[in-house]
Amino acid sequence: MNQTTQGSRLEIQGVNKFFGDFCALENIDLTIEPGELVCFLGPSGCGKTTLLRIIAGLEQQSAGQLSQGDVDISLKPPRDRDFGIVFQSYALFPNMTVSDNIAYGLRSIGMAKARIRSRVDELLTVIGLEDHARKYPAQLSGGQQQRVALARALAPSPGLLLLDEPLSALDAQVRHHLRSEIRNLQKQLGVTTIMVTHDQEEALAMADRVVVMNNGVIEQVGTPLEIYQQPASAFVASFIGAMNFIDSAAVNGQRVRVGSRELELVRPMPESQDCVRLAIRPEDVHLLPAGDGDWEGQVESMDYLGAFIRTHIRLADLERLLVVDVDPRSARQLNLANGASVCLQLPSDALHCFAA
Amino acid sequence: MIDSPTLPQGASNVTSSPSPLAGLRQRLSGRWLFATLLLAGGAVLSLLVLAPLYSLLSKSVENKDGDFVGLANFAHYLSSGGIESAFVNSLWVAALSTVIVVFLAFMAAWALTRTRLPLTGWVRGVLVLPILAPSLLPAISLVYLFGNQGVLKSWLFGAEIYGPIGIIMGSCFWTFPHALMILLTAMDNADGRHYEAATALKASPWRTFWTVTVPGARYGLVSAAFVVFTLVITDFGVPKVIGGQFDVLATDIYKQVIGQQRFEMGAVVSVLLLLPAMLAFVADRYVQRKQSASFTARSVPYKPSHNRRRDAFGALMLAPTVVFILTIIGMAVYASFVTFWPYNLELSLNNYQFGRMDGGGWGAYLNSLQMALGTMVLGTALVFFNAWLVERTPQPKLLTGVFQMLSLLPLAVPGLVLGLSYIFFFNHPDNPLNVIYGSLLILVLCTVSHFYAVSHLTAITALKQLDQEFEAVGESLKASRWRVLFTVTLPLCLPAILDVALYLFVNAMTTVSAVVFLYGHDTQLASVAVLAMDEAGDIAPAAAMAILITLTCAGAKLIQSGLRLWVDRSTRAWRQGAE
Ligand SMILES: Nc1ncnc2c1ncn2[C@@H]1O[C@H](COP(=O)(O)OP(=O)(O)OP(=O)(O)O)[C@@H](O)[C@H]1O
Ligand SMILES: [Mg+2]
Repeated sequence: MNQTTQGSRLEIQGVNKFFGDFCALENIDLTIEPGELVCFLGPSGCGKTTLLRIIAGLEQQSAGQLSQGDVDISLKPPRDRDFGIVFQSYALFPNMTVSDNIAYGLRSIGMAKARIRSRVDELLTVIGLEDHARKYPAQLSGGQQQRVALARALAPSPGLLLLDEPLSALDAQVRHHLRSEIRNLQKQLGVTTIMVTHDQEEALAMADRVVVMNNGVIEQVGTPLEIYQQPASAFVASFIGAMNFIDSAAVNGQRVRVGSRELELVRPMPESQDCVRLAIRPEDVHLLPAGDGDWEGQVESMDYLGAFIRTHIRLADLERLLVVDVDPRSARQLNLANGASVCLQLPSDALHCFAA
Repeated sequence: MIDSPTLPQGASNVTSSPSPLAGLRQRLSGRWLFATLLLAGGAVLSLLVLAPLYSLLSKSVENKDGDFVGLANFAHYLSSGGIESAFVNSLWVAALSTVIVVFLAFMAAWALTRTRLPLTGWVRGVLVLPILAPSLLPAISLVYLFGNQGVLKSWLFGAEIYGPIGIIMGSCFWTFPHALMILLTAMDNADGRHYEAATALKASPWRTFWTVTVPGARYGLVSAAFVVFTLVITDFGVPKVIGGQFDVLATDIYKQVIGQQRFEMGAVVSVLLLLPAMLAFVADRYVQRKQSASFTARSVPYKPSHNRRRDAFGALMLAPTVVFILTIIGMAVYASFVTFWPYNLELSLNNYQFGRMDGGGWGAYLNSLQMALGTMVLGTALVFFNAWLVERTPQPKLLTGVFQMLSLLPLAVPGLVLGLSYIFFFNHPDNPLNVIYGSLLILVLCTVSHFYAVSHLTAITALKQLDQEFEAVGESLKASRWRVLFTVTLPLCLPAILDVALYLFVNAMTTVSAVVFLYGHDTQLASVAVLAMDEAGDIAPAAAMAILITLTCAGAKLIQSGLRLWVDRSTRAWRQGAE
């Protein structure tokens, strides 16, 4: 595409949303930088769609402000805001051809016919559907429909692109393919983009920054790496990837007690807590041959998951089984098998701790 | 777009904003507009249904001079013995007709959907034919068949057709299609997986019938029963023509008002008639609310297997109904061409020379045509516009709730009651709207309100099926709701629009009950003319006029089918794969 759209900056301040007595969003503060791709990630019903619809003006916030660029859009109807949107259902107009769908928004702003035609052709090339211009949505595959919806949203060159679970209706392979396609297109156009998803893999793979939401509040905002490596709360830690949780008692600011043994911490502990929850990712646990360490456990079960083996280990001091991911080669060296003994270490720099 | 408004406490970096008020106006203009439009729609419906009903209710507690007399009119009517005969008669006749019709319709629907009989398309066509005829037609036809000079009089073994037997037979004829259509809808969507499960569990056909087929159709059965009961108890055409001395509520209203000019007593009987109708309506709503869609996207359509015995049984179930319907219609057609029954059986067009008879003749027919076209155009526009406001624009919940109730209310109001209410309301000297009394317009308005509910439900269903996000997408593409309405919503709803238009046209052509009180000297109607000619003893011309109405409706149906076919053809490309 020869022309790039300049994305705009979006600022959300103190947004609340009530449905009757039910609080769907609580005090949302968020700034989205121009050209960024931000994912809203969270479990079902946490308010992602609601926040997206408030940004679009399709839903009215109960309190708070939004501004886009230098413009306060808090009270503007959707038509006066500058965005394109793709819904989960795509909502393509079934009675119009692919070109007419894409041209719909251009016609409403009164663009000249010739320019509409060239813009539509341009977008058709971008999404690779030049040969399908005269077809109706029902004659296209799901992935093709998705692309048309994207092209229709992008046609008027909006400063902000909103995507509500755009890939969830597609099968895994098409999804993977479209993921990178959307990402490339977004980068190329520089359009600020918000994408709602409850698929963490999708969010981590595509986003510049991820907004993790739960129960109507933002739990953490950060790059995929930050979210994974430095989860800000136990919720984020458990929601993204796999995580072991271990209950422990604080000894002093730097040490905690787990059962009969004490562990050193590198990360700061939550203040003035007697109990803390330690957390460690399955791949961060070190396994040693039986007898090489002082913390021994028995292998209860092993699941072969391709690139690694997920091992469940019973430890004397823990109620719950500890989940440890081991690569097959180390597993062979350790002679891992059901019932086998193994020693382990929890490296202090891999231990997270949260308020209990 | 720098003229952005701010919140009053605006802690934003916006520079030039006109005023918070302007912002509020901008934000609300859309919503206000649509809410105001729906409010207006609600006001129109209130004026057409609620206000007249209120006049009727107040009339029933007033004396001839308009003084409040409490329940004295009711006491008077009940003590005059009318209650014993008319009310009880109405109830048992309606109940018995309901049982017969629902049974026959269920068996017919079963045969049409669960067997592999050939020609089911034609059979369906025949079975719904009665809907195109005025309810007076079967009554007239029954007179020819079983009346004093009837060809099959001996078949009754001395019993009189004039009375309950005639009323029940006639009612069964014209209410049958209503029950059949409800049951076909309920049974067409059978989930094949349930039948496969039953077969896998080695259930006999008989047991499958009782454990899968009947439970699957139970909501349809309930609904059909309520609909037929209400139709029969509120119908006036059949008992008027063939009821003889057998009093029912509907004919009693007519007698009180037209015969004796006792309007307040007419109001009393109307209220009594309103009660069972309302009750049936509320009960049906209650039952339907519990219904949840059992046919989901995952369902597999049911395909009947080969089974000779089952098919033969199905044919046996269909045959009597098909024969009955064809006989009734055939007899009416024949009678309309017979020169002078039963003495001169030569065929002629004499009976079609309506100019020589009572009832308004060809003028009445032309009036009916105009009235039906008016009802069709005005009604379809009103129904769809209101349904669109309810379904596709932002509205306060309370408003849509109230509107929904208003639009379903006509379902519970018998035509006679509505017609009488219109007299009280629109003929009131203090009502500025009384100028339309006696005009074609009031007939159109009354008919639109009479048939509003079913049209409304059809429109709502069609609109609900569209993607909920069309308007949101439109807004994001800077298209107004109006543009989305004309470029997307209406084209997609075209089949439903054609259905509603036909429904309104046919009902306006055939209805008698609501309009029988309302026509004026220049606005006589064909359906009322049938009644008038029958009353004057011109039964053959009455049959001829009834046939003419039926033919007109059939013509409308043909045109509508043609249009639908054309729509389907020209939209096949974009419907492909959408089903
Ligand atoms: N119009 C509404 N009226 C009442 N409650 C609503 C309404 N819309 C949403 N909610 C509630 O607000 C909460 C958040 O809904 P939302 O649709 O934003 O969730 P979500 O995060 O998008 O979930 P999902 O992943 O399932 O799409 C839910 O509990 C939902 O029930
Ligand atoms: Mg959602």
